[in-house]
Amino acid sequence: MSGKSLDNRRVQKFHWMSRFLSGWAIFRQSFLGKIGLTLLALFALMALCSFIPPLVDPMYQPMAGVDPEISTVTGPSTRHWLGTDFMGRDLLSQLLAGARVAFMVGVSAAFMSVFLGTAIGMIAGYMGKFADTLLMRLADIIMVMPALVVLLMLAALFGQLSIWFIVFFIALFRWPGVSRVIRAQTLSLKHRPFIEAARVAGASHLRIIFRHITPNVLPLSFLYMTFQVTSAIIIEAALAFLGFGDPRTISWGMMLQWVWKTGHMFNAPYWLLPPGICISLITLSFYMLGRAMDEVLDPRLRKEGQTD
Amino acid sequence: MALLEVEDLTIGYQSQRGFLKAVEGVSFSLDKGRSLGFVGESGCGKTTLGMALMRLLPPNGRIREGRILFDGQDLLEKTDEEMRQVRWQKMAMIFQTAMNALNPVHRVNDQIAEAILTHNPSLGKQVAYKQVEGLSRLVGLSKHRLRDYPHQYSGGMKQRAIIAMALACQPKLIIADEPTTALDVIVQDQILEEIKNIQKEFDISIIFISHDISIVADVSHDIGIMYAGQLVEYGAREEVFESPMHPYTKALLSSYPTLTGEKAQLMPIPGEAPDLIHPPSGCRFFDRCAGARASCRTNPLVWLEITPTHKVFCYQCGRQCGR
Amino acid sequence: MGNGKQTILELDRIVKRYRTKGFFFGAHGQDVIALNEVFIKILRGEIFGLVGESGSGKTTAGRLIVRLEQPDQGKIYLDGRDITGLKGKASKDYSRRVQMIFQDPYQSLNPLLSVFDTISEPLIIHKIGNAEAREDSVWQAMKSVGLSPPHDFAHRYPHQLSGGQRQRVAIAHAMVLKPEFVVADEPTSMLDASMSAQIFNILLEMRRRLKVTFLFITHSLAAARYLCDRIAVMYKGNLMEIGPAEEVLRNPKHPYTQALMDALPKFVHSGGVKRYETLLQAEREVSGYVGCPFFVRCKVARAPKCSREKPPLKKLDDSHSVACFYAEPGIKTRSGGKA
Repeated sequence: MSGKSLDNRRVQKFHWMSRFLSGWAIFRQSFLGKIGLTLLALFALMALCSFIPPLVDPMYQPMAGVDPEISTVTGPSTRHWLGTDFMGRDLLSQLLAGARVAFMVGVSAAFMSVFLGTAIGMIAGYMGKFADTLLMRLADIIMVMPALVVLLMLAALFGQLSIWFIVFFIALFRWPGVSRVIRAQTLSLKHRPFIEAARVAGASHLRIIFRHITPNVLPLSFLYMTFQVTSAIIIEAALAFLGFGDPRTISWGMMLQWVWKTGHMFNAPYWLLPPGICISLITLSFYMLGRAMDEVLDPRLRKEGQTD
Repeated sequence: MALLEVEDLTIGYQSQRGFLKAVEGVSFSLDKGRSLGFVGESGCGKTTLGMALMRLLPPNGRIREGRILFDGQDLLEKTDEEMRQVRWQKMAMIFQTAMNALNPVHRVNDQIAEAILTHNPSLGKQVAYKQVEGLSRLVGLSKHRLRDYPHQYSGGMKQRAIIAMALACQPKLIIADEPTTALDVIVQDQILEEIKNIQKEFDISIIFISHDISIVADVSHDIGIMYAGQLVEYGAREEVFESPMHPYTKALLSSYPTLTGEKAQLMPIPGEAPDLIHPPSGCRFFDRCAGARASCRTNPLVWLEITPTHKVFCYQCGRQCGR
Repeated sequence: MGNGKQTILELDRIVKRYRTKGFFFGAHGQDVIALNEVFIKILRGEIFGLVGESGSGKTTAGRLIVRLEQPDQGKIYLDGRDITGLKGKASKDYSRRVQMIFQDPYQSLNPLLSVFDTISEPLIIHKIGNAEAREDSVWQAMKSVGLSPPHDFAHRYPHQLSGGQRQRVAIAHAMVLKPEFVVADEPTSMLDASMSAQIFNILLEMRRRLKVTFLFITHSLAAARYLCDRIAVMYKGNLMEIGPAEEVLRNPKHPYTQALMDALPKFVHSGGVKRYETLLQAEREVSGYVGCPFFVRCKVARAPKCSREKPPLKKLDDSHSVACFYAEPGIKTRSGGKA
């Protein structure tokens, strides 16, 4: 008999696979989604490549490596494909390292904020009454606070912030939006007959939350993650550009800050443009990915003639 | 001449798995002032048929074959613009979800008056509002409630308002798709009475679509039974009820509980309806039919006329009659 | 009927109100009374029908019994024990004995759980048996609702099933705990006729084999006649008439029940169904909830008495009671004289 249980588990896995595949089929019909995914693949490749330059020559170390023969800004050459900055550091390796940091900051901050937002939204929606009021007012308070200004004040107070502190802080400021959506979804699920059927069957609150509600809100959480990544990257870039980034890591925002600070804003396009374009494109690609996922999850957004 | 003549209509939907033939080879005709009811279970194509007659199929739906002659004109050859003129002016539809068809932010009388004015702009505003009052009396809506908003109406009143709107341009044909499904029995009864009265008074033709055979029988002169996209039996309601021929009709009739007579065991129809993307050859009811023989699969089905007004689409019935 | 039989469930003068929200600043809205002092005794092993239109409170009664909601007044007894305040383990034990089948099978199954997982869920919740025993119970439950061979269905998901199949899964989900009492809330209103007949027969079979008691909630008089031993007719939260199904439907005494009979589609139900011609009145003006709830539309009602006083349930004979001042025992009633 246990064979059948194993069988059941396998079928379950298969079911998730087939859900994924049918979602993928819709995703593929979305033009935006395809562009977004291609761009993201390129950035991911960049992030992976960022491990190579330091191995080739310590000169290409993005932060510490300085070309011994160059001590000023230079344009692209065969030795430095994108040129060097004012200290003779290789711009390409900086750009590659920036991709890694952007992914790290974006994904981890988004993950944390979505995790917080989902948990809080589900608790508020499911428990209702006092907990709901309390948590949602808290969300309101945080939502009206300008995250960037608060971060600037903190940076001014405590000096240089480490990159992980920044990530943590972005997450802390970005969960309310997610929690509102998840709360609404939980509220609508809570009164669906299948939840009531579980209650009638004697299921505990924990069981209802984990077995019946969580799996039904998770797709929405994932969707929000892509949008959260976008905003996390922008906040980090803005902070770094204003000079409150973590000085031990390199990010695109920081590269822009150096261009600005050393006064090469308008005479070294090979230095200014790559990080600027990268920031725009990576946020755009995550956004397009999110839009395409939105279409997968919400049939109303699909164009006519598309079927599932 | 018949008001509406449908010949060999085949309608389908393009889906990812293939072309789904929702309606296949349906032919019927409807005279002026008569009413025709289509009965069938969900997925039998009755709603698709109604939508196709109005040319209101969803984007992935297509009319593959056949002709729809309405008032002497072929509806399938009309452009979208011409069709818009035909709809409402000559034919109107009362939908299944009609209650949601009222605009929540306008007063009911404004909405009905607008329906009149859009199709008859030469009428003055005052004349239109006068007509609204007349219509409301006809469908049993209180004059004093006309200036209300839809959310102040009960389900039955909304349905009456919708019927008034459908009547606004004095159509020749009304297609009513499950107009009373969401209503309580008493309200349903009143609405059905209303529909019958209106039909008599204006000599309108009605196509009535429902899954509930008792409701259809109440308002229709003729009844068509549909199964898996095909018409399987067609006839005057007395004939269909008193001497049903097709095994599906018989099974359908005996699966309804009754209020009178002996309490008989209900006979559910075993199995499920066939897949319409790959329909079986021969009779579609074969798998669920108690009287099916192997020959039902192979022999081509033909319509068998039992009386001039009663015909059936079944091979076995033909054999039993010795033809 | 039923004098020798034991009561399994009793609703004792149950009142349930819903508060409607008023406008912003305005005084808060009127309470809607969903159930007004409803008193019902359901006997062990019977199928009891609760018949009424939407808004009659019939679904609320079912939800109170399975404790999805709490009554504002009154008590509910199962086997003589009050269950209105149960908590924790007692509440969980109660859910083993009393289950519910929901109206809409498209909504009552979790779309992410397979048929097998859905049906085994209650067994896991109540920690019944080991994995193997649970599997056996699931197969059995599936067979008993006609999902056979079970292996063909066990690994399907709700969206791969027809409406009738879904409802059978929902029934198996309710029956797998072997409850004594099941509330069936319009289990066939979303299904086609041929499917409804299957569901009816499954319920009858369950009652025969497992001796389950059912509360069958429906708006269809014909379905109530087919399934039920006794029925109660409800209107706006009030019990209007209660008695053996056959008796109530053949010889309805309350003007409201008669109006329901009159509203049946004429052609099919013409033979043998008496017409009571209880033409419903345009609504009369009344204030508050004092009088007979049906007064506003009743043809028989007389002004001072019916509008001021709520008629109590009056026993016409052993088993047939009617809440109408003018109902008399025997065939002839004031309203239905000239049928």
